[in-house]
Amino acid sequence: MLKKRLVFTLLFNDGSFMLSRNFRLQRIGDLEWLQRNYVFSNISEAIDELIILNVSRNEPPLNQFTDMLKQLTKTCFIPIAVGGWVRDANQAHQLLRSGADKVVLNAPIFGEPGLIEQLALQFGRQCIVASVDLARSDPAGFEVRVDGGRRALSGSARERLVELQDKPIGDLYLNSVDRDGTGQGYDLEVLDLLPQDFGVPVILAGGAGNANHFETGLLDDRVDAVSSAHLLNFVGDGLHKARENLITRGIHLPIRDLDIRDLRARPEVP
Amino acid sequence: MTVVDIGLSNTGSVLNAFQYLGAKTEVTGDPKSVLSAEVIVLPGVGSYRQAMERLRESELGDAITASAQDKGNKILGICLGMQLLGRSGTEDGITAGLDIIPADVAVFTSPEVRRRKIPHVGFNSVRPAVGSVLFEGLPQNPDFYFVHSYRMMPEGLTNTTSLCNYGTDFVAAYEHENIFATQFHPEKSQVNGLQLLKNFLEA
Repeated sequence: MLKKRLVFTLLFNDGSFMLSRNFRLQRIGDLEWLQRNYVFSNISEAIDELIILNVSRNEPPLNQFTDMLKQLTKTCFIPIAVGGWVRDANQAHQLLRSGADKVVLNAPIFGEPGLIEQLALQFGRQCIVASVDLARSDPAGFEVRVDGGRRALSGSARERLVELQDKPIGDLYLNSVDRDGTGQGYDLEVLDLLPQDFGVPVILAGGAGNANHFETGLLDDRVDAVSSAHLLNFVGDGLHKARENLITRGIHLPIRDLDIRDLRARPEVP
Repeated sequence: MTVVDIGLSNTGSVLNAFQYLGAKTEVTGDPKSVLSAEVIVLPGVGSYRQAMERLRESELGDAITASAQDKGNKILGICLGMQLLGRSGTEDGITAGLDIIPADVAVFTSPEVRRRKIPHVGFNSVRPAVGSVLFEGLPQNPDFYFVHSYRMMPEGLTNTTSLCNYGTDFVAAYEHENIFATQFHPEKSQVNGLQLLKNFLEA
């Protein structure tokens, strides 16, 4: 049986990992901070996929990002999706050569016609994650936001998501600007915006603060994966505990009973 | 161990996994190195036709056949790498494979996956064959990461064949003497995958 997925999302900005609340960014720490607080070489035990987004507001130097990627992914033996500032096939290729298995696209999904098709042709559709940020708007609807949540696209979110239905994408990452970083739980109403029989796996994001929120998301038939980007709610062994919790409650996540440390050739230098 | 690089796929994650296990690794696109390699890994994502064309043009294909089939060197094909070891693939017209595993590769059909999404992406459980070396020490029906639209069917395969179900049973792993192959990505399957790669190295 195909399992559901627990995903963790890292937000990177100019050398630092960030906490985002309603898309306002706060610097938390660098790669060393991450390694210390998340024992990052072991984090792939607790999650099924890692997403790393370059959320810099200005176009950053690509090599700073890819250097971090190479370092971070060296002991991360799960699928890794990477995005932010991908505007053409060449940039996508550089990320894929630096440890990424998939490329995440946000604003260019709607702003650069043909890019998804071109990337899918070159790397396969399983390689493309479409990330869509949704915000509640009057009257009682949703709009799609781009550029770090600051710019609303014209048209309703429902119409925008219909546009995605026939695109060659491998996953849809649905994030809620209103719930982002609040820890209040997912906005499940964003799922009602999806076309019927949407043929692409959905990763639900925005608002998870604990294992109960993950569970609520994963119990929804329309959800294939749940994600959190909250760097502080799951610090230390928080993700491990949340995973154990979910499995105990009967959520179908991949099972791994062995200890990855037993397979490591050389012990880690403390 | 030697990772064959045909210039189409990312060899980095496979190398990372073997290095974690402490294996001495090399990446090569040189047929001579493949001929003399005692342990070969053929990874791959992308199109069957394109990959076979590269293998033929570069003479890496002949080197793999000579090394694995004639000299008996140990080989592991991963994902497209497993499919290339098969008899043929139907992606973008029928293409002959390396014919080391006697089975054909074709696309998942909608009736057989019963309304499931194609490609088959994510962690799915594998039913290891009795007597499997690759799955030694792993829990019952362990989960591995799959990402593929084409599959190899088990009909006609008499050697140790482990299966996965996605509406239909297809070949998740194959092993026969020095020939090993997995449709899933052990290098992306966390500790289950690392244990399997360790088993391969020690086989």
